Amino acid sequence: MSLSRNFFAGVDVGSLAAKAVILEDGKIYATGLVPSGVNSVESGLTALNLALGSAGLKKEDLKYIVGTGYGRVSAPYANKAVTEITCHAKGANYLHPTVRTIIDMGGQDCKAIRIDQDGAVVDFAMNDKCAAGTGRFLEVMAGVFNVKLDDLGAIALSATDTVPMSSTCTVFAESETISLVARGEKPENILNGIHHSIANRIAGLFSRVGIESDVFFSGGVAKNSGMKTAIEQALKVTIVKPEIDPQLIGALGAAVIARNFAKKEGLWV
Amino acid sequence: MGKQLFRYSEANKEKFLESDNITFNDGSVVTPEEIWHYLTVEGPEKYPGTFEINLYQGNRASRDETLPTSLKTHYLGLTFSERMERAKDKGKSIAFIQGGQAVDPYTAADTIALRPFLVGQWYHGREHGNDINKSVLRRKQSKEKAFHDMSFEACQTGGYEHIQSGNLRVDVVAPYTVLRCSDVSYGVEAHRHGPNKEVKLFNVDYPLRYQASKPWAVEYFAQNLRRLVKTLDEVSGRKTTEDDLLKAIKLHNEGRRLGTELAELWWSADIPPTNSDDRLSLVSLANLDMHGDVQASLSVLKEARNIIAERVKNGVKGHAVTDNPKRIFILGSCVGINDSRSEDAGAIVVGKDDQWSHCSSLVEEEGDPFYNLAKATLEYPYEQSIEKRAEWTIEQIKKSRADGVIFIHNWGCNTQAAVARPILDVIKRETGIPTYIQERDLHGLQHEQEQNRVNAFIEML
Repeated sequence: MSLSRNFFAGVDVGSLAAKAVILEDGKIYATGLVPSGVNSVESGLTALNLALGSAGLKKEDLKYIVGTGYGRVSAPYANKAVTEITCHAKGANYLHPTVRTIIDMGGQDCKAIRIDQDGAVVDFAMNDKCAAGTGRFLEVMAGVFNVKLDDLGAIALSATDTVPMSSTCTVFAESETISLVARGEKPENILNGIHHSIANRIAGLFSRVGIESDVFFSGGVAKNSGMKTAIEQALKVTIVKPEIDPQLIGALGAAVIARNFAKKEGLWV
Repeated sequence: MGKQLFRYSEANKEKFLESDNITFNDGSVVTPEEIWHYLTVEGPEKYPGTFEINLYQGNRASRDETLPTSLKTHYLGLTFSERMERAKDKGKSIAFIQGGQAVDPYTAADTIALRPFLVGQWYHGREHGNDINKSVLRRKQSKEKAFHDMSFEACQTGGYEHIQSGNLRVDVVAPYTVLRCSDVSYGVEAHRHGPNKEVKLFNVDYPLRYQASKPWAVEYFAQNLRRLVKTLDEVSGRKTTEDDLLKAIKLHNEGRRLGTELAELWWSADIPPTNSDDRLSLVSLANLDMHGDVQASLSVLKEARNIIAERVKNGVKGHAVTDNPKRIFILGSCVGINDSRSEDAGAIVVGKDDQWSHCSSLVEEEGDPFYNLAKATLEYPYEQSIEKRAEWTIEQIKKSRADGVIFIHNWGCNTQAAVARPILDVIKRETGIPTYIQERDLHGLQHEQEQNRVNAFIEML
């Protein structure tokens, strides 16, 4: 590949998935997404290599790489590490410049982010110690009902009722769910309750940082249609339809930041 | 993977040997030569964990070895446990107090006053040869045991646990109760009903609900301070006079003045003259009791003040400080961020409200010393209503030219958790600078979750 072309990559190693996005100047050139393993260096590299392979590129073709997510602290392949809060902000702004509010729900945390017209973070709030209200929480619940994680949202949307659920603790919510099933509650109504309890928790985060239109939903959980609906109801907003897989937004933002750093450091051809 | 260890470089020895001695309460003196020996030979053997390079625990790969007072505070910290044991062997009284209070009456009564953190340091320092993981696990064990023995989860419970277990020769539990946090009140109650009846208990009852302007409240607290001194005298068998208290107030005022001067010098500098760790360890010396020896702290503080003045004059940049760092002010009790990792992310901690409240509050030297001390204590800015505390904090934030404020509260610290949001709301309203609230695990072990939020805040700034 010609060195006269400008390729930049962002690699987002989260707790459940590793994602990579390659940008060429102003457009998304390639992406990669793999489940995260225990070795975050390997997970990040696998996602990056997947993206490189699909584009017929080599790592040497990349002018700059930015690492993000929890794996960013051990990303020797990256030129720089940036937190995923900043990356989601840049990624959402890159795709939809009118977005001012981002809900990011990943494997182990959820974030309420306010941004300005340049995609700079103005304020943010995150869930505290607990994993309730995260992708991992939904994964545990999918396990309880023995359904696929991807089907969870659709099942919740078929509910005729909303069963109130605890959103305090993933482990306790699991035992609460089992007892609700034993009491004869319908699975779809329980799942609907779970989605609403998480949505209310997210709404609580926004009471700190505020909401301004347009609203964007990123992270792996954003693919869950039930969660999108529950959040729209809880926040009384309409969420912008993403142009790409919302799970890739962090990596996309990292790639945008990589491009900016490359420009700043004179690596742009 | 082998542990990486930090060692002080011989290249800096000669310069260090030119620095001042440390003089202790009993008149004994430790020379820089002896300090150097301890830091390079004895200390690493006894406390290898302190010399382990571990960024997650805040232990840096390199330190400011050209700042002699930084080495001296390290020395005072390392020798703390053995110095307490020696003090007890010589018959000195030791009292358990709480954070956030000054110790003038204890000094007057010739009693070493130890905050909860220091009680833990004394206990854990008695075991040698531990690496960082072993030390952290040991502290965690103490805390878990305390949660069960005392039936509540809060910070600073470890100190009560050690006293209840009879692990330490503490003579009296005598904190100012209800000052700043509810945990101490819970702890006192747990102690009252605990199995160890050997250790005397005295509550210095602090009037609640911001009573500083009311003469009855000042008189009531002054009366409590008189009873405190009487209780300390019963333990030690000595007779403390008003004159002793006045002398103690003058001594602590000297520390408070020097500490304030040092902090303001630091803030006045265009370039931070030390990193966050060194700034805090030096400013905290204004708490003359910080290392269990008032005179030792004072002697290091005097030297530190002069060194910082020199550094500011010459535009010296502190070790590991990045260019144009984002200046962060930390609020909350018994908390802090990982300084080295935050500095790597482009920030520096320029202040904390916690101990600073009483360190910067002078006590009137004319008139009844008990009344004056009571008045000053009731006026501690940190203990005032939300609006007043925020107003004082804003002054400190402006003086320190902070770019952002993080309020951290430990899980279980209900008082600070409750006031965090309204205080930050006032600060944001009045200054417009970004703020952030962080709740943290009591054991301080969720490094990535915590640091991720701090780094995002720094990036936002």
